[in-house]
Amino acid sequence: MTDKAADFWVITFPSVHHALRAEKVLAAAGIATTLIPIPRELGGSCEGLAARLAEGDVAAAAAVLTAAGVPMVKQGVRIKGKSIWR
Amino acid sequence: MAWVLIIATGVVFGLGAVLLVKAGNPGNYGFCAACHLRDIAGALGIHQVATLQYVRPEILGFVLGAFALAKTGGEFRPRGGSKPLVRFVLGALMVIGALVFLGCPLRGILRLAGGDLNGITGLAGFAFGVASGTVFLKGGFNLGRAHAYSGGTGRWAGYLAAAAALVLLVGVATHAAWLKFSAQGPGAQHAPMFFSLIAGLAAGGLAWRTRMCLSGGIRDFLLVRDTYLLKIYVVIFAAAVAGNLAFGTFKLGFAGQPLAHTAHLWNFLGLYLTGLAAVLAGGCPLRQLIMSGEGSTDAMFTVLGMLAGAGISHGLNAAASGAGVPVGGQIAVVAGIVVTAAIGLAFRETIAVAREA
Repeated sequence: MTDKAADFWVITFPSVHHALRAEKVLAAAGIATTLIPIPRELGGSCEGLAARLAEGDVAAAAAVLTAAGVPMVKQGVRIKGKSIWR
Repeated sequence: MAWVLIIATGVVFGLGAVLLVKAGNPGNYGFCAACHLRDIAGALGIHQVATLQYVRPEILGFVLGAFALAKTGGEFRPRGGSKPLVRFVLGALMVIGALVFLGCPLRGILRLAGGDLNGITGLAGFAFGVASGTVFLKGGFNLGRAHAYSGGTGRWAGYLAAAAALVLLVGVATHAAWLKFSAQGPGAQHAPMFFSLIAGLAAGGLAWRTRMCLSGGIRDFLLVRDTYLLKIYVVIFAAAVAGNLAFGTFKLGFAGQPLAHTAHLWNFLGLYLTGLAAVLAGGCPLRQLIMSGEGSTDAMFTVLGMLAGAGISHGLNAAASGAGVPVGGQIAVVAGIVVTAAIGLAFRETIAVAREA
């Protein structure tokens, strides 16, 4: 179960299509991730999805996605769990 | 914190809508991002239907409420450049569909909460439209990233929507000669200006804070099973039902509902078009107004498209009325679905998948 109060890290993508592709690539690489709506801390836009990751997985995830040709917008932004109300 | 905002937003929209009707707005017409904008289009002379001309302060409040909170919270971000002309077209199509149903998805919920069962067919169409739109998203649909305007004239462009809302507010408050005011019909039925404005400001501020959007809510549920946005609409529905029951304005049935018709197929397809176009534009009509207030020029172009859509709809006799949906409206909806689907196909971005060595 995800601890909603804990900080987490996200990678964001140019589109929903890219986020869905990233989810498959990361799953194939054995990196645990969950797709979530883009946290409001990252901008007012609500059009996209972000990959939620554990801190230790961010670098590996970015490397795997780069190798797979999945473009990213922001890599490993820390989101404060306690400030998240959604 | 999440539940406080969800409940506050739901109550302000749901109960607020009922109170606005009690104070003078037409039935089940407390808030509507499409029809109210259509009335504004009439006041500006974009269409010539004499009974649908009034600058609805609720809409101005949405934009100004979002602007005020975004600005004071340091989250006002002038941005744009993500295919504004395509967004203009999508905005027009959203409203053409909504004016066949006679309401945006928010009014669909408010109509249902007033006992108008035609809301069911309309909202079902909207949900199917959003579901169809997510197929395009999964297929690579992308209008490109918006760019932040950090300096120069672009930065000031982010203020245009709020400035326009302020000018219109002065116009309606002073009964300006450059605006049209209906003498009869739905356009002449409205709550006192300051009540409408305060309701709009409160609703707009909360909609900005929660990023409330029905197309976004359905999209997020379908894609990642996130229910946050949908919870707001459940509370809106509950608050509006409670308000209608308390004030005796709840009337269950399909026939004889205010500003509504019973052409089920066209109720469905009208909001299907709105839902499909909303997903591709990145938000429902209400959300576009909110984003335009917080500095998105892309959303502002979508809102301008929505105003144009209202003009096209009434100019070509494509808007529905209580009597039903004219042939022009039926053709417009079908053509609109085809055009929107074509946009969904045309703006796909593919990923060059790296091959293993």
